[in-house]
Amino acid sequence: MLDTTVDNMIEEKPKIIARDVKVVYGDKEALRDVSLDVMDKTVTAFIGPSGCGKSTFLRCFNRMNDTIANCRVSGSLIYDGQEISAHDPVTLRARIGMVFQKPNPFPKSIYDNVAYGPRIHGLSKNKADLDGIVEKALRRGALWDEVKDRLHETGTGLSGGQQQRLCIARAIATEPEVLLMDEPCSALDPIATAQIEELINELKQSYSVVIVTHSMQQAARVSQKTAFFHLGNLVEYNDTGDIFTKPSDPRTESYITGRIG
Amino acid sequence: MQDKHIVTSFDNDLERIQAHIMKMGGLVEASISDAADSFLLRDVELAEKVRARDASIDELETLINDDAARVLALRAPTAIDLRLILSVIKVSANLERIGDYSKNMAKRTSVLLQMREIDNAASSLRRLAKEVELMLKDALDAYIQRDPQRALEVINKDKDVDQMYNGMFRQFLTFMMEDPRNITACMHLHFIAKNIERMGDHVTSIAEQVVFLTTGERPLEQREKEDRTSHDVNMSLDPKTET
Repeated sequence: MLDTTVDNMIEEKPKIIARDVKVVYGDKEALRDVSLDVMDKTVTAFIGPSGCGKSTFLRCFNRMNDTIANCRVSGSLIYDGQEISAHDPVTLRARIGMVFQKPNPFPKSIYDNVAYGPRIHGLSKNKADLDGIVEKALRRGALWDEVKDRLHETGTGLSGGQQQRLCIARAIATEPEVLLMDEPCSALDPIATAQIEELINELKQSYSVVIVTHSMQQAARVSQKTAFFHLGNLVEYNDTGDIFTKPSDPRTESYITGRIG
Repeated sequence: MQDKHIVTSFDNDLERIQAHIMKMGGLVEASISDAADSFLLRDVELAEKVRARDASIDELETLINDDAARVLALRAPTAIDLRLILSVIKVSANLERIGDYSKNMAKRTSVLLQMREIDNAASSLRRLAKEVELMLKDALDAYIQRDPQRALEVINKDKDVDQMYNGMFRQFLTFMMEDPRNITACMHLHFIAKNIERMGDHVTSIAEQVVFLTTGERPLEQREKEDRTSHDVNMSLDPKTET
């Protein structure tokens, strides 16, 4: 059959390959044998009710679960041909960036917020080079026009939506290959949300974006692939269009149509 | 049926729309039957009733479309709910067209009563209409029971309607060739037969919506086209030369 929609013209190349990933907190199993390929230049959405394991899974991608004392991750997670656990966490996080639910700019200037990553990773040769990186990241974060005259004011003085875009600019300043977003719009108004969604759409031209969201409409709007998690299991992973029009698992159907499953 | 929504008013909205579809379906079934009866029984009053009923059918279609638009805007339905809304919009349009064809048939009844009678025509048309009415009933039952198998049976029955129509087409042609004074009446009769055949196509489309609603897929196999009057040269020249 002839596919004419742009959304379906996805470059089918996995960026991260997860096989039988299992996460245990103490003696509680949070994620059970999840296998899934995160595609390159694609927005992948993780949806599911609270406590279903979607954030836990996202956090495996840049070893955020390492910092939790009683958390054990098993199974295989391959990024760039190598187990994620074998990557150096600092460089890994520069290549797999993350944006959190609440905007969390450093208590520094807007400029320093964005310049932080490139500085510690030594990505710039001189001041002019760094200026270029900061401007580019802020432009891609759709924030440049609003802050270009006050780059040395503090980042925490911005509005919530601007702060979140600053965090995105900070995350993309190191030119990551994968961008993880955990509920990036839950604290934002509809206009800021639309700006972030527009930004996600632009970012997918060069990155692989993985977004965890409770807003099913948002998953439907921004993603090309959707994974539905329920009670620690990956129930269904498919093209977003199929998930929202003809899901194959009754649990997915119950969840996305707002029924008691 | 499906589990209930967490938000009860969503269920109420969907039930309301489906109740309207069933009501509309009931009216349309009655219209097909009354239109055919009015012709067979030479009953002008019954024909008038069909024409009057069409206004209620049109009203229901508007109501269903408004409700469907509201659910789309306010509830952002997905999966089965989305397919339900998409299907009611199409089904109500199909029902409205069937209603229009019935009305047209009733209009021609009053005209035909003033013309010479054509042998068997009224009862043949009644039989054809009955067939379509039964198909519609089955399609609507399949719709409400979410039964794709039954819908597929309806889709298959459409070729019987096409065949019956082909037979009548030849019959009317013969009458017209035999006696030119039959032409006006036969032209009207042919329009009626053609309209009933078109009703069958709309019923088929409703049945296809049932398959889409229940499975998320459109029925795949291409139906065999049995109505060949539009492109069969021999048929339109002389029925005797047919093989």
